[in-house]
Amino acid sequence: MRNSKLSLAVLVLAVIGVSAAQAQTNNASITATATVQTPINVIGAQALAFGNVFPGVNKSVAATDLTNAGRFDVAGQASAPVTLSFTLPATLSFGANTMPIDSYSGMRADNSAQTVGVVAFTPGASNSATLSAAGSMFVWVGARVTPATNQAQGVYTANVTMTVVY
Amino acid sequence: MKITACLAIAVALLGAALPPVLGAQGKPLTVTGVRGVTFGAVFPGVPLAISRTDPANSGQLDIKGPNRSNVLLTFILPLTMTGPAGAVMPLSFGSSDAGYSQSQAIGSQIGFDPKQPFTGALSNNGRASVFLGVTANPTASQRAGAYTATITMTVTVLP
Repeated sequence: MRNSKLSLAVLVLAVIGVSAAQAQTNNASITATATVQTPINVIGAQALAFGNVFPGVNKSVAATDLTNAGRFDVAGQASAPVTLSFTLPATLSFGANTMPIDSYSGMRADNSAQTVGVVAFTPGASNSATLSAAGSMFVWVGARVTPATNQAQGVYTANVTMTVVY
Repeated sequence: MKITACLAIAVALLGAALPPVLGAQGKPLTVTGVRGVTFGAVFPGVPLAISRTDPANSGQLDIKGPNRSNVLLTFILPLTMTGPAGAVMPLSFGSSDAGYSQSQAIGSQIGFDPKQPFTGALSNNGRASVFLGVTANPTASQRAGAYTATITMTVTVLP
């Protein structure tokens, strides 16, 4: 009887010993959080329009010309800094005929009337800007065409592209 | 009868002293999430990396356990964060985006790859901290809103 009690006690101690030798494991978690801002949206709102152009007579459209300057409308995160980059053609085309375009100019503003937050700039590969408190920006592009004296009659076009990134 | 009583008391005492979750030094292992990884404002198309040495935005988990014991760390790392309407934003963990600090100081870390198991030693008083960095990779058309993910660290005291 005494032996059986001792055996039981040893067995209990052995079980405890095994438990104590087992690896301890524990875990915890943390979160990762982010707030994604409003994606940028750009619209080509108005074409850069030179209207009638006569051979040998240069014609310019100013970026301040609300009727004829090209205009892009930008929407995004309020007050966010952005970078504007332009792809500007060197010529307008009419079939195989071309007409030089140069002297690009730019204006940007917080409103479409070009009266709030107006900044003049030279369009290029990288122009820094900041969206308005409402998350908007309006960009105008002006330029000059220099038709040759023997410029072929026709409707000349080209694409002006503006890319906006945060 | 006396022997039985003595053994019973001895067993009871040992049982109290060595519960199954205690190690050789008698300290239970605890892991605590101290601070989450905070990206703050993220712009579509613009990756944002949080460094493990960033005292305000890096993640931190604290470990307490047996003094000077070796511990094995493994992570469950999310591939994406989840946002509004189920939108997801990719996350990427670099090969040195986790840091182990026996002194629990963010300025004194050993970098390691959280994608791989890592073995470290707890300090003389049984403590250590792990700091985490990660990069968020929003797409250009990433849906606006709040995104979250859960990072889990499992710690095992090695024999």
